[in-house]
Amino acid sequence: MSESTNRQQLLIDHAPVGKKWLLWVLYKVFWRAVFGLVIGLKYVKNESPHPDGPVIYIANHNSHLDAMSLMTIVPSDRIHLTHSVAAQDFFGKSNFRRWAMRNLVNAVLISRTKSDRDVDPIALMDAMLHSGRSLILFPEGTRGVPGVMADFKRGVGHLASRHPGIPVIPIYLDGLYRNLPKGRTIIVPFGGTLMMGEPLILKDASVNEITDAAEKAIKEMASNLENANKINPAP
Amino acid sequence: MNKIIQAWEMNAEVQWVILIILSILVFSSTCWFIWGKIKPGKLVTELQVRTRSWWIMCACFILTTVAHPAITHLGLAFLSFALLREMYPLLKLDERERHVVMLCYMVIPVQYLLAYLGMTTLFLAFIPVFMFVVIPFILVIRGETQGIVRSISLMPYSLVAWVYGMSHLAYLFQLPEIPGFTAGPQGLLLYLIFLVGINDVLQFAWGKTIGQHAVLPKVSPNKTWEGLIGGVLSTTLIAISLRFLTPLEPWQAAFTGFCVAVAGFMGDAIASGIKRDIGIKNSGNAIPGHGGYLDRLDGFSAAAAPFFHLIYFFGVTSGG
Repeated sequence: MSESTNRQQLLIDHAPVGKKWLLWVLYKVFWRAVFGLVIGLKYVKNESPHPDGPVIYIANHNSHLDAMSLMTIVPSDRIHLTHSVAAQDFFGKSNFRRWAMRNLVNAVLISRTKSDRDVDPIALMDAMLHSGRSLILFPEGTRGVPGVMADFKRGVGHLASRHPGIPVIPIYLDGLYRNLPKGRTIIVPFGGTLMMGEPLILKDASVNEITDAAEKAIKEMASNLENANKINPAP
Repeated sequence: MNKIIQAWEMNAEVQWVILIILSILVFSSTCWFIWGKIKPGKLVTELQVRTRSWWIMCACFILTTVAHPAITHLGLAFLSFALLREMYPLLKLDERERHVVMLCYMVIPVQYLLAYLGMTTLFLAFIPVFMFVVIPFILVIRGETQGIVRSISLMPYSLVAWVYGMSHLAYLFQLPEIPGFTAGPQGLLLYLIFLVGINDVLQFAWGKTIGQHAVLPKVSPNKTWEGLIGGVLSTTLIAISLRFLTPLEPWQAAFTGFCVAVAGFMGDAIASGIKRDIGIKNSGNAIPGHGGYLDRLDGFSAAAAPFFHLIYFFGVTSGG
């Protein structure tokens, strides 16, 4: 897959209507019911309305359920225009995985290592934002250690600084790693929380500033959630 | 279609209690609305949020109760499942025991199916006799014995407290016919839901207004002797006046109301103790103003089995 065909596909190829409906049924009905009734994910929405147009969603990453849960909060009319960004080396292993990632998750696969890449991931995501797509990013880059947040990679900063008008929505995901930990295949319901932060609109900020602001917003939500339910010491 | 409508047909007693519940809700909502307009404050906002949640809970309870018994069983099974799902991560039962946790979840449909089929002995024995042995054994055959005492104690406890207890509400549908008793299992179910709910509200109200002396200062500083005694006495009186939902004599209804109120308080106190040990205020945030499922259902799960056995003893064994 060369860079030119990749861009062509993104810019010219409009998602067919059938795909929009398929994704809507999958995420707004099926996964929403699974998260609400079986897994018991609690959605905590932010105060302000969801911005129109393209958005960059960023979240901490511990489980394969993370991308699924984020797809359920995307507005219905933009669900086919929202792509999660996934690792080529893991999800591109077989033809079936590639097909499922493209059609059922609406994901784009990027290469995590510099050696085997024929397209620069940042350029690819940049082109997608230009063509009006929203992105779901996990700046930690990997699922990592359960319940522990790794340092954020700079990619989200690069993208947001090139598109100052596109809001970045930080999302904190708590507890989904218990439902489907790394290396397991069966979902065992353990609950969890999806906390949507206020959209960050950062004008004239440097790459590092944006990345740090996003990381800080998610860490703040994490500590707020933990402290909200702590008991006061007994009198 | 006719069958579905028939399933929704309610007897006069059930219609009455639904009317009473709705009028209490309308009355309190109106009160808080006027109070909030005249003198806004933190307490009245909390009361408004709590009442709004009561509206939703009552709607869910009433709709699942008057629907087809199968739907009632499903609804109760879901509540048991929600309780376990909420408590297991808080009790730090995850990762290593996740397959056994899955087994505990699978116990729920089996238990409620036994209730639905009316298999009395198996229903009564399945969790406290069979699962009591099977679950620790499965924990043992994994070969991982570190911290196993904790899991062996917690898993059967959680099943008895939140599945076995709650499933007695479903077993009310299996009571034999009692002569002269027309309200049916729906009436009994709503009677218990009403008593435990109003008991919680009244203990809260009495405690807020005249509460002075804490019952369990180390466990739950908000529970006072005044709230407990006031709540138990008023619940007993309400139990007598709602007697038309049950096959009970006045003194039997008074005794049942007293037991339900005390059991509700006990369940509440036990849950408070568990939450304090974990170091959390609420077991979750599923119900605005109330907390999680356990915060609301602790009284129900503790009062359900005693209520069932009292009704069985008074209504069936001693011949009404």
